[in-house]
Amino acid sequence: MTERRRNRALTWAWTITIAAFLLNLPPFFLQYPGQQLLPWLAVAAFVCALALCVIALRRAFGQPEVYRGKVSGSIVTVIATLLFALTAIGFWGARKMPETTQAPQPGQKAPAFTLADTTGAQVSLASLLDAPLAGSPRPDGKPKAVLAIFYRGYW
Amino acid sequence: MAICVDTPRQSADLSKKAGYTFPILSDPNTETIRQYHLLHKGAGPEGHDVSRPAEFLIDSTGTVRWANFTEDIRVRARAEEMLAAAKSIQ
Repeated sequence: MTERRRNRALTWAWTITIAAFLLNLPPFFLQYPGQQLLPWLAVAAFVCALALCVIALRRAFGQPEVYRGKVSGSIVTVIATLLFALTAIGFWGARKMPETTQAPQPGQKAPAFTLADTTGAQVSLASLLDAPLAGSPRPDGKPKAVLAIFYRGYW
Repeated sequence: MAICVDTPRQSADLSKKAGYTFPILSDPNTETIRQYHLLHKGAGPEGHDVSRPAEFLIDSTGTVRWANFTEDIRVRARAEEMLAAAKSIQ
């Protein structure tokens, strides 16, 4: 009996599975241009990996005299499916957020507020816009704008 | 300036650890977060309400000039984007 062929689809399926899963790990908060595409890329890569798994299994089970990979193909397919499920749950969860149609949009007034800073002092939006700022390009030395970053907290 | 539901004490710790020099404001009762329609109900630990991530650039007249609402909590506005938005304001 001649040596059976390596199931190359399986090698690629495994490589892409690992790469796709790594795409889910940090560095998400690093500043990459186009970083918003990474989660989509991870999902797309898993779809490719699973398609390759199907090809590999059809070869291994359909032409067992030609191709290897019955056992390894099954293992890779199970692992790829599990990791894809985890990724899909994470993807869905990360995008499950309230609508922002009601939130202030460019051109609208920002609602006024007064909140405590880290020292407990009360700080208002108006006071931030009115506070002298070193290096301000404006003649009155005040900031030309304030950047308000709302974040989830619990760091 | 940043806003979240953490207490001033927690934010002070974060500021110190990370070396932040900008003010971090505390909105534990989510009043301002609600005013901005950013409340994400039950999304924090133990089902606490938090703010959804969002960034606004507010000019000296109090008008929003730029806003960013991410579609994915893992992806936030990049510093370059925010700086470019700030530079566009005269």
